[in-house]
Amino acid sequence: MIDVSDVRVTFNKSTPLESVALRELDLVVPHGQFLTIIGSNGAGKSTSLNVIAGLVRPDCGKVVVGGQDVTDWPIHQRSRLISRVFQDPKMGTCEDLTILENFALAHGRTQPRGFRFAIDKGIRERAAERLKLLKLGLENRLNDKVGLLSGGQRQAVSLLMATTGETRVLLLDEHTAALDPKTAEFVMELTRAIVTELKLTSVMVTHSMAQALHYGDRTVMFHRGRIIFDAEGDKRAAMQVSDLLALFKRDQGEELSDDALLLG
Amino acid sequence: MSLYELLGTVEVGLIFGLVALGAFITFRILDFPDLTVEGSFPLGAAMAAILIVNFGWNPWPATLAAAMAGFGAGFVTAFLNVRFNILHILSGILVSISLYSINLRIMSGPNKPLLGAHTIFSAVQGWGIPTYILSPLLLAIIILAIKMLLDLFLHTGLGMNMRAAGANPAMAAANGVNVGRMKLLGLGMANALTALAGAMFAQSFGAADAYMGIGVIIIGLASVIVGMSILPVRTIAQATLACLFGAMLYRFAVAFSLNADFLGLKASDVQLVTALLVVVTLVGQSSRSGMGKLLKRKLS
Repeated sequence: MIDVSDVRVTFNKSTPLESVALRELDLVVPHGQFLTIIGSNGAGKSTSLNVIAGLVRPDCGKVVVGGQDVTDWPIHQRSRLISRVFQDPKMGTCEDLTILENFALAHGRTQPRGFRFAIDKGIRERAAERLKLLKLGLENRLNDKVGLLSGGQRQAVSLLMATTGETRVLLLDEHTAALDPKTAEFVMELTRAIVTELKLTSVMVTHSMAQALHYGDRTVMFHRGRIIFDAEGDKRAAMQVSDLLALFKRDQGEELSDDALLLG
Repeated sequence: MSLYELLGTVEVGLIFGLVALGAFITFRILDFPDLTVEGSFPLGAAMAAILIVNFGWNPWPATLAAAMAGFGAGFVTAFLNVRFNILHILSGILVSISLYSINLRIMSGPNKPLLGAHTIFSAVQGWGIPTYILSPLLLAIIILAIKMLLDLFLHTGLGMNMRAAGANPAMAAANGVNVGRMKLLGLGMANALTALAGAMFAQSFGAADAYMGIGVIIIGLASVIVGMSILPVRTIAQATLACLFGAMLYRFAVAFSLNADFLGLKASDVQLVTALLVVVTLVGQSSRSGMGKLLKRKLS
């Protein structure tokens, strides 16, 4: 479903600040797989997600999604194939619009409405139906501005919006990192339920090793722009956070020194 | 203030309502501080005047053509910003100073009188009621119709995409909105409205002038700020109405300062008085909540 081949990304090219974020990355995510990506700061995990979403153009290499070469597509064009939930709850929803309008916006991604009214009875009913899944009572607040919702509520709404319509690829960029532990768990369980229900191909970047191993079907670890570890199936199921740390130490000959990775 | 003066003020207030709607689209919806209007207002005036006087066009299509020229001006500004990444304010300045020369070319001189020519206001002449009553009425109908069309547009799929593109560009792009295209369309629309206002102003005033664009940006912005601070703006329809109201209030403040000899004000103080109006509204609005908080703290 997602096929990233031989992608290289350099930031601040030909300046003293030049740094290579991804080195000849190859990553294939088959249809229906839920991949989790882990790595310390600057490892290239978010950059790889941005390459798939179109925020970062690679220096070389190719990005194929759903059989289409999207390497040269702008973000808005890719959004017909790819949905995305941001880390910052404020980013994923538009606070000046109502819950219903946000929903209609996400819906228009695969079915643009042009000069027809953005909101009609069908969309209102679909929004209410989807929002009921959250059990937050938001289906009764359709005309409230999103700015009135809490961070957790907004992130839950973003997730629902991202999984409305016909996109089959879901990118999650540390989407629970800004939430308190209880809300984070709620949003993660919701993610798992929706991804399973809709059989979405998903890529989740996370800072928490425990989360990376607990959710999804496959885990890769990034370090300095390369994948240094890739596990799925039984091998992954038997794995603990401590195993991951030991592996890292053995392969890289250095201690992992990112507190967030260890504590998360 | 005489009735004649009052209705004259209402007429200008209505026309500048269109400028305020344009500023609402750029400043509030798209978050794009657009300075093109300083050039597109006289552009509309010049286009309408030339088409009516030199080319003998009917005033209605001439006015429409003026609006379309305005659309083009806004489009160029947005194009400079979107395609070549020129800073938004600078793009507007570049286009508006270019328009200054272009307007002189269009009119083959600094101004173009419209006296005695057929204008859109000729349509309401000879009905037995004086023109100075019917002209504002005609304008009120046109401007309210445009306001309602804009309200409708902002509720369509496209209109909502535009609102999202201004409020949260990253999120809009992630939801399939072509943010650049929304800027092109929005700036085109805003400058079409401004040029339309210029065309109507020239026909009401009796001449187009290359210098008539000076200060238009402030009038538009002040109208939006004043209107939206005073009236409730929970919905789009309320917000656009507030812009029209703000423009009217602004013109009345101008008329007041021009007539306020008894306060020792001179006609030349007009810019000072209008600037004060904006400051008083802004301060009044922020101190209202500030005073409220202070009171609450004292009571508890």
